[in-house]
Amino acid sequence: MSFARRFFASPPAIFGFAVFLAIVAIALAAPLLFARGPLSIVDMPLLPPGSPGLLAGSDVIGRDMAVGLAYGARISLLVGIASTCCAVGIGVLLGAIAGYYGGWLDDLLMRVTEFFQIIPSFVLLMVLVAFLQPSLGSAVIGIALITWPQVARVVRGQFLSLRSREFVEAARIIGMGDARIIFTQILPNALPPIVVVSSMMVGNAILTESALSFLGLGDPNLMSWGSMIGGSRVAMWVAWWTTVLPGLCIVITVLALNFIGDGLNDALNPRRRG
Amino acid sequence: MPLLALQNLTIALPQGADRPLAVEDVSLQIGRNEIVCIVGESGSGKSLTAHAVMGLLPRGVVATGGGILFEGADLLKETQEAMRRRRGPDIAMIFQDPMAALNPVMTVGHQVAEQIRAHRALSEHRAQKQTEELLGQMGLKDPRGLLKAYPHQLSGGQRQRVMIAMALSLSPKLLIADEPTTALDVTTQAQILKLIKRLQAERAMSVLFITHDFGVVADMADSVAVMRHGRIVESGTTRQVLGSPAHDYTRALLAAVPKGENYLPPPAQAKALVQVSGLTKRFRRGGLFSRSPAITAVDQVSLSLSRGETLGVVGESGSGKSTLARCVIRLLDPDAGEVLLDGADIAHMRERRLRPLRRRIQMVFQDPFSSLNPRQTIGDIVTAGPRILGEDAGQARARAAETLELVGLKPECMHRFPHEFSGGQRQRIGLARALMLKPDVLIADEPVSALDVTVQAQVLKLLDDVRRQMNLAMLFITHDMRVAAEVCHRVMVMRHGQVVEEGLTRDIFTAPASDYTKALLAAIPGRQWP
Repeated sequence: MSFARRFFASPPAIFGFAVFLAIVAIALAAPLLFARGPLSIVDMPLLPPGSPGLLAGSDVIGRDMAVGLAYGARISLLVGIASTCCAVGIGVLLGAIAGYYGGWLDDLLMRVTEFFQIIPSFVLLMVLVAFLQPSLGSAVIGIALITWPQVARVVRGQFLSLRSREFVEAARIIGMGDARIIFTQILPNALPPIVVVSSMMVGNAILTESALSFLGLGDPNLMSWGSMIGGSRVAMWVAWWTTVLPGLCIVITVLALNFIGDGLNDALNPRRRG
Repeated sequence: MPLLALQNLTIALPQGADRPLAVEDVSLQIGRNEIVCIVGESGSGKSLTAHAVMGLLPRGVVATGGGILFEGADLLKETQEAMRRRRGPDIAMIFQDPMAALNPVMTVGHQVAEQIRAHRALSEHRAQKQTEELLGQMGLKDPRGLLKAYPHQLSGGQRQRVMIAMALSLSPKLLIADEPTTALDVTTQAQILKLIKRLQAERAMSVLFITHDFGVVADMADSVAVMRHGRIVESGTTRQVLGSPAHDYTRALLAAVPKGENYLPPPAQAKALVQVSGLTKRFRRGGLFSRSPAITAVDQVSLSLSRGETLGVVGESGSGKSTLARCVIRLLDPDAGEVLLDGADIAHMRERRLRPLRRRIQMVFQDPFSSLNPRQTIGDIVTAGPRILGEDAGQARARAAETLELVGLKPECMHRFPHEFSGGQRQRIGLARALMLKPDVLIADEPVSALDVTVQAQVLKLLDDVRRQMNLAMLFITHDMRVAAEVCHRVMVMRHGQVVEEGLTRDIFTAPASDYTKALLAAIPGRQWP
């Protein structure tokens, strides 16, 4: 289809998509690739990459870094995708209602949205996660809660401009109900920017999750890239790989997602072509 | 030597466009002190020809052959810098949409003065002085006050006058006007046309006038060239071309121009199906914290409409005609008054009770590009209404095939998407969508104003046929008096939300009672043209 052709016409998009697929594959295959879990101690601490049996070296207490990185990918992707899905769900619903109905409902919902936007979001997130007990679920909920306003704003803007289009008026005239108009008439036309924003949000959520784990607010029973960096920062100067490798993983993943986002934007937005 | 001579001009479109050449082998001469019109439908290449003369072809579109000789010098061979120096003192241009052509964050005085100062070493003060003088010559009142105005504070006509002042600020030898009155109301259009004509005579300049309207051609042009698919099919003096057109296409175009001669006979007296009385709609601006005074868009309007008859509602932009239509069909909630459909007042009915009645009043929209959902197939669009009413999907599709045939489309098009159709075809699809619900009343809101004149004629005929066949009551909203004269039994003239005059079409056109109607009729371009 022409959409796929436009998307894969840009080299960064191809790169981003390929890297993303590779990370997903590693994350899914982690239990098959490694016999032991990420938390088990396998050797002496701080062995450099390339030591026998240790592709990426060992960390401060002698865990296999390679296993940690592979399992960390699972956490990053899971949190990134799950929190984005939640945020998109909330954002689309509230943005659609605000944009479609307008009036006092719009005013009210936008004030709520602004409330979430003016609070320093990371502080809110830390408080929330600490309050709910650090766990995978609380990270997902917390990140969704601080990111949905972006989606809501985009969706509202789309709905505001689309609801006055004549095909929407036509739908009302033939007797279509509001819910049906919102979901079958307007939403499909509002999808492109939502898709673009979401792809970028996954990257941001991964960064946020890493920051939380770095600060020790991640799930203590799970290995994530952020917690790897946080746990190894004492050894930063003697064993670079303990912090640099998980850091690189984060950078590459987020970069890949941003490339995908840019590619989607170009492919979905015909005006930006050429 | 003519001032401007196009010699076998050929302009290529980028690959993947619907045809390889936008303009093909076009030759045309414009003498000094002469107005030449290029007339054609959309996609004829008339606008690109004008842009080529200005050296302003869009990216990817290039002149590949021929020449554009301005006082003997070939503009196609000149450098960017040389062309820049020519724009203003030699050739200037005005555009269709003055709002888009003016910078919204700069005052009018500053913009016009800037143009002068780009070419002449003048102080800001002197340039402003000249600007003031120019604005006065454009017939603008209080030119000094206007210097400090921003474009959004002006009316459409004032903006176009400012654009003309800017174009003429350096006394160009050639003025290119690209559909300069298409976006304006008919009375404003008449004033702007008169202004251009007066300025042309005063300054003895040449004008290249691009238009789609033969009425405008008749009023303006000394000579005319008719373009189609990038070629000139016929050219000559205006009298020649309009009086005895040689080419079939010119004849077809001329035949399609609504003449307003054969008025429909008065309708047979019948019981009113729709009875509107005292309908009022106000718009309030401002949000939670501001309350600015309300604007009364529709003010105490009453009308009645019976089966088989077409009532035209004409008026200029802002007259409230579209708001009236949207209140009658309850896309907007009126503030006061009633709309009786077969005796039931739908003006204040709750949406839930109204929904089953909606079937009975349907609408055809103005913009063929936004009235169909771009993400749905024609089949889905056309059958959506019946399916909501619980009609079986198979039966709905069978009826859709019949209805599409009725409006002149092939049933196969059900599987295709709106973007695969032309403007005229889309209007047919929109009509089919409305007819699928077997309505009693059809509201047509400027259904042909976005269409070329030949397509316009076909769609008007189709609407009239359908009205007759299905015995519909039709409310026809239009700004174009000529169109109203073609299809309406009765006409209602609106201004500032109020009804100025109402009567049989023949009476309104031959013996208008109000001054406003007289002014509207006098402003129709090409009135003198036999």
